[in-house]
Amino acid sequence: MAQAFPKKPASPANAVPVVYAEKTPSTQSYLPEIIRGIGVSMSHFFRNTRDMLTGERPDPVTESLDIGITTIQYPEQKRPYPQRFRGVHRLTTRDDGSPRCVACLCCSTACPAQCIFIEAGEYEEGDKRRGYERFPVRFVIDELRCIFCGYCVEACPCDAIRMDTGLHPVPYDSRDQFIYAKKELLGLTARDGSHASANPRHEPGDPSHPGIDRDHH
Amino acid sequence: MPTFKLDGKTIPFEAGDSIIRAAEKAGVEIPHYCYHAGLSSPANCRMCLVEILPAANQRAMMLDIVEWDEKLGDYKAVRKPKLQPSCQFMATEGQEVLAETSTHVIEARAGVQEFLLLNHPVDCPICDQAGECKLQDYWLEHQKTPKRMHDEPVHKPKAVSFGDTIVYDAERCVMCTRCIRFMDEVAKDPVLDMRERGNLKEVIVAPGRKLEGHYTLMTEHVCPVGALTSKDFRFKARVWFLKTAKTVCQGCATGCNAHFDYDPRSNKALRYRPRDNEAVNKYWMCDEGMLSYRDVTSNRVPGALVGGKPVKLDRALEDAKKRFGSVQKSSIAFVLSAKHSLEDNLALFELAELCASRALYVTGAPDGYSDDILIHADKNSNTAGVKNLAPEAKSFADLLADASAGKVTHVIALGGAAPTEEVTALGRLEGLVTIAAHEGPITGAAHVVLPAAAWIESSGTFVNAKGMRQLAEKGTEPLGASEPGWKLVGKLAVAIGVEPSWTTLKDVRSMLVATSVPPPEPPSAEASAE
Repeated sequence: MAQAFPKKPASPANAVPVVYAEKTPSTQSYLPEIIRGIGVSMSHFFRNTRDMLTGERPDPVTESLDIGITTIQYPEQKRPYPQRFRGVHRLTTRDDGSPRCVACLCCSTACPAQCIFIEAGEYEEGDKRRGYERFPVRFVIDELRCIFCGYCVEACPCDAIRMDTGLHPVPYDSRDQFIYAKKELLGLTARDGSHASANPRHEPGDPSHPGIDRDHH
Repeated sequence: MPTFKLDGKTIPFEAGDSIIRAAEKAGVEIPHYCYHAGLSSPANCRMCLVEILPAANQRAMMLDIVEWDEKLGDYKAVRKPKLQPSCQFMATEGQEVLAETSTHVIEARAGVQEFLLLNHPVDCPICDQAGECKLQDYWLEHQKTPKRMHDEPVHKPKAVSFGDTIVYDAERCVMCTRCIRFMDEVAKDPVLDMRERGNLKEVIVAPGRKLEGHYTLMTEHVCPVGALTSKDFRFKARVWFLKTAKTVCQGCATGCNAHFDYDPRSNKALRYRPRDNEAVNKYWMCDEGMLSYRDVTSNRVPGALVGGKPVKLDRALEDAKKRFGSVQKSSIAFVLSAKHSLEDNLALFELAELCASRALYVTGAPDGYSDDILIHADKNSNTAGVKNLAPEAKSFADLLADASAGKVTHVIALGGAAPTEEVTALGRLEGLVTIAAHEGPITGAAHVVLPAAAWIESSGTFVNAKGMRQLAEKGTEPLGASEPGWKLVGKLAVAIGVEPSWTTLKDVRSMLVATSVPPPEPPSAEASAE
């Protein structure tokens, strides 16, 4: 079917004509350029074959500045992530294994993707933390909705949420597998395998804690 | 009206108004903690200090003080004016008051604020007041300096249970005594007091007592900081996630103005807060009213019911058609409800008119506890409105008598509530359709129940015991399959073969204006939401 295309607009008055290269027999025949191109390809081919046989590889982090084999065989080979890489979240724990999170919802408030859901609860009567803290009864992150901006980590006053797992979310089969609940988040560790955070915490009752009553006990 | 000048702005006042009150009425806020328009002024927080310029041919009261001089490296003697608490200082004609424009006042506010935060635990992340806390607001507005005291703050009792409704945290308390004064002056039950002095001071409940009665939650509401928190709302939500609808409490005929807070993300009702209205509830609400936000979900009609079994709305309307289709329209009796809005009642009243039926009855909840503060014995929110709409309507007892005598066979009712639990006479009816938001004796006896939206799920008008017409805004979305009552009345009208004269809320509202109900009076116009 004939199609009417919009007419090309008229050239503006201040248009400058394009200057093309001079047409000479060598550029017109293409041959010298084709040979030069094959030369570049072959030099890469031989250099890569040599590197592959000798096992030499450029540094993957600075590879873009380097020549040589830049392809990696993911997932068998992985690029090292930088120290500050923001991976999947984890919830840090205290010495007794309970989450450091006090369910203040600061992360949830800071989250631009609104992917954090927390339900706060109060400690049982008689618990030493009752009155001073609350804890997350439920803590859910939708990793599919998360944009990995790290605002939650910045917002956390307790260093309870971190993105230092070094993992990116695994491509799962279904969407609900991306919903990480408290159990999964507590199960993830830092790259060194620890559940704790770098910042010490002073619990009521510890010698380092200033005390919770008038006599500082 | 006499006037005075606050920072050069002319502020009118009535005799007996304090400076802060007059400014408040004129829309100028002077920061304060202990002052509350509905309570006495102890002037103990010192946040509302202002500089009052001396009258002509008078000298200002000056104080000799020493001030640290950075350049000199020593203290030097200076003179400063004596600042006055604006909550206790009465406004007088021609007076000149400086607040924002006085460096002394600005300095004093920052000083008071720093002093109040000296021993504050700064546990905002776990404090329910965060987001609506005066300490937070005023720190940002009047202090903005980091803490200078690096010693461990004084620790005081936390999470002290004051009763079944209130938890107290002495560390967060600024000792404004608002809660104490509220219990003394408004609730007339002086159960709270203070003990110790200085930074050891704390609020306590009288020995052997606990904070109880009908106005305990108000102590939490008057608390300007997070010292008192309600057990009901504790840890439920962060206030900045909530949305607010201006509504009217449905607990009794007083019709207290309230803010209804809900989480729009989960459509979950979370709390009531009183909305100031001098003409109705002043600044207060009772505990029963404050907790009645739960009625959004509790005891609700979940969906359309036929013979007590849940069905689709269409199926229920078909059943109603079967029962009412062949009946002579003028013989159908209509029961208005004092617990439903004027819009719902008007729609049903209009249907009765269209059916040419004169058999009108009124139902509602039975009377209950009352006091002379706020709580009305009539537990229906719209008794006066229904009475005005249909003055000739007979009582529920008459309906029961007429039903057992066989005078009434087919009834279309609004609401599930009835003044009595004993409704066996309704079992003799051949057809009983009710449009109800909440379950009650009538829904139990009804053949067909249509699920109406609760008061907060559709905008409605309510007339309180004083005859003031008040508008309640829509808050949460209707629960389940429920729809606004007036809409369901329209659908039911179509089902029984009558063409309703309204299709939208606007139609119902315009009919409302046309009826005999008086237009809003000046005080209620202030109360009704825009």
